[in-house]
Amino acid sequence: MVEMIQPILKEILFGSIGITFSFLKVLIPLMIMIEILMAYNLVEKLADKLKFLSGALRMEKQSLFPLLIGVVMGLTYGAGTLIEINDKTPIPKKDFVLIGTFLFICHGIIETTLLFGVAGANIWVISLGRLVFAFIITFIAARLPVIARMGKETL
Amino acid sequence: MLVAAVKTGFIKAIKTAFMLLKIVLPIYALVVIFRYSPGMALLQDLFSPAMKLFNLPGDAIIPIITGFFTDEYGTIAVLSQLNLTAAQITTVAMIVLVAHSVPVEAAIAQKVGLNFVKFTTLRLVMAILIGLLIGWMGVLLSW
Repeated sequence: MVEMIQPILKEILFGSIGITFSFLKVLIPLMIMIEILMAYNLVEKLADKLKFLSGALRMEKQSLFPLLIGVVMGLTYGAGTLIEINDKTPIPKKDFVLIGTFLFICHGIIETTLLFGVAGANIWVISLGRLVFAFIITFIAARLPVIARMGKETL
Repeated sequence: MLVAAVKTGFIKAIKTAFMLLKIVLPIYALVVIFRYSPGMALLQDLFSPAMKLFNLPGDAIIPIITGFFTDEYGTIAVLSQLNLTAAQITTVAMIVLVAHSVPVEAAIAQKVGLNFVKFTTLRLVMAILIGLLIGWMGVLLSW
């Protein structure tokens, strides 16, 4: 019995520690990048440059910033920024739905690309592929009568 | 400012890794034990037909379900124990990246005012669609 259990325990211990080390390979660059992005307000500057996209997605220009935060840094950062901005200048309900649609397909792109890249997935498919897919679905969603009808009313 | 950012980032990374170890260790252990049990072959047979639609082997269901209830890190912990090709890992990644941490993220969605049930259903449908798409594109383009 002991001879059977020992290799299994070894596999569990070394395996999970090994995995955690490979997570560090992802987490260290990720967390440093997020801190730098925040320190220099880089996402805000990017949102400014990409303002023209808000027209294609039928969103207010101010909605692009929380969307980009979610796409680049992750869902919790995105939701936090969304709530913060909504408190200052209310965001239309339609934009909430569209941001939600985009983000549920594609968020935390730095983290997930690094993570699954280390695991051996094709990083172009999981980063660009997901961005394009999310853009197409949101583009369509913005034009659905059910969502278009929401107009500019706020929550 | 740059030095401070790098330092904070580094410390956050180490803290997160320790937090993850607490989640990853039990998941990893469960999957190792499961792999040595007869349940593994059973699961493989059960899910082979469904997974074939995505050009995946039957056991690929394990990282997908793990990701559904935990997060992407749980999926990676399971993936590392399976023998999948790069194209298959990409397919699993795309499915899990659309539908992961479902209970937690549905709660976040509700907090910003989106419908819990609609949001989750939409995610699942999208995950299946994107899985089919990427699964077949992987075969055609062999990435």
